[in-house]
Amino acid sequence: MKEPRWKEAEFEEIEYEPTSIKELLVEMKNISELMVDLAYSAILFNNSDIAGEVKYLEVHIEKLNYQIRIMAMLAARTTEDAEKLSGILQMAEATKMISGAAGDMVKLLSVKLKHPLLPRILKESDEMIKKMVVGGDSAAVEKSLPELHVASETGVRIIALRRGNRWFYSPKDVALKKGDVMLGVGPEEGLEQLDKFLKGKVGVLE
Amino acid sequence: MSEKEAEEMLLELKERAELMVDLAYSSVIYDNINLAEEVYELEEFIDVLNDKLQRLAIKDVKNEELEVNDALAMIQLAICSEMIADGAREIADVELRDVELHPIIKESILESDEVFVRAVIAPSSVLKDKKLKDMELASKTGMWIIAIKRKGSWVYEIDKNTVLKEGDVTFARGVREGIEHFNALMEGTEEEI
Repeated sequence: MKEPRWKEAEFEEIEYEPTSIKELLVEMKNISELMVDLAYSAILFNNSDIAGEVKYLEVHIEKLNYQIRIMAMLAARTTEDAEKLSGILQMAEATKMISGAAGDMVKLLSVKLKHPLLPRILKESDEMIKKMVVGGDSAAVEKSLPELHVASETGVRIIALRRGNRWFYSPKDVALKKGDVMLGVGPEEGLEQLDKFLKGKVGVLE
Repeated sequence: MSEKEAEEMLLELKERAELMVDLAYSSVIYDNINLAEEVYELEEFIDVLNDKLQRLAIKDVKNEELEVNDALAMIQLAICSEMIADGAREIADVELRDVELHPIIKESILESDEVFVRAVIAPSSVLKDKKLKDMELASKTGMWIIAIKRKGSWVYEIDKNTVLKEGDVTFARGVREGIEHFNALMEGTEEEI
C-alpha cells in the first residue's frame, strides 16, 4: 500500500531557507485558517480525503515552525532582542497547538466514528466538500478558474489549490497544471461535473 | 440533543473558530490591539459553547439517545475546538503584551499594503440601514467587511444584501490607502462614498 502523503512528508529532510518573517507569518495564518476550515469540514461532511489534507498541513506547519525558530535565534543578539523575539516563538507554539487540535479532530473520523456524526447534514445539506485532481487530458490545463467559469457553471467554490508542496489560498490567478489538487465546496452535482471535467472525461463545463 | 442542535452548534463552532484564528493572526500582523481584545471575547464564547456541547452529549447518553462512542467523539471534538480557541488566544496575547515586537517584525508589518480595521457605525453614518451592494463600499474604498458584531453576536455571512445598522462593529480588510475614507464614512464625518 502506498504511504499517505503526510507520512512521506514527515520524513523529508528540512533545510533552512531564509524567508522574510512577514511571509512566514502570513503563511502560518493562511495554513492555520485553512486547517481549521478543513478539519471541521472533514467532520461535518465525513470526508477522509479532506482529513488526509489536514494531516499533511500539520506536517507542513511543523516545518514552518522550524524555520521560525532558526530565524528567531539568528536574529537575537541581545537580551532585549530575545525579549522582543519571544513573541514570534509564542506565535509559532500557538500555531502548533491549533494545527495539532485540527489534526486530532480529523483523527476522530478514522478511529471513533463508525458512522457519520451527522447523517442528517449529508442527506439534506445541498453543499458538499470534495478533493479533485487535474488530469493531463483535461481542457482545464493552462487555464485559470475564472477563465473556466467554474463558479458560475458549477456553483463550486474552490477553497484551496495545492501543487506538490505549495498551497494557493486564493487560486484565482493560477493557471492550472496536471496534478494540481483542488478542494471545492458546492452542490453535489456541480462537484461531480467539475470532477469529470478535471479528469478529462468531459470536454466542456456547462 | 437533536441532530439539528448538534449540527447548529458545530457550524457555530466552526465559524467562530475560523474567525478567531483570522483575528488573532491579523491582530499581530496588522498590529491592532482592538482585534486582539475581540479574540479574548470570542474565546470565552467558544468555552461556553463547548461546555454546552459536552453536557448535551453526556445527557443524551444518560437518556440512551446517543451511543457512548458517538458521545465520546462529540466531547473530544469540543476539546479540539477549545484547543484551537486557546491557540488563537495565545497569539492575540502576543499583541496584548507590553513588550514591543522586534524591529524585523515591525518593519515587515509596515511594509505591507494590506490592513485590517475595526470600526463602529455612528448614528450619523451614511452607511446606516443600507445594503452593501447599493453602496459599492468595497470597490469605492478598497475595504472589504469580513465580519460584523451586532449587539454582542457575530455575523459572518457577509454578502451584497447585508444591511449595516447603527452601532454595528465592522471588521474590514483592505488597502492602506482606504482606511481614512472607510473610517470617515463609518464615523459619519464623510458623506460621499
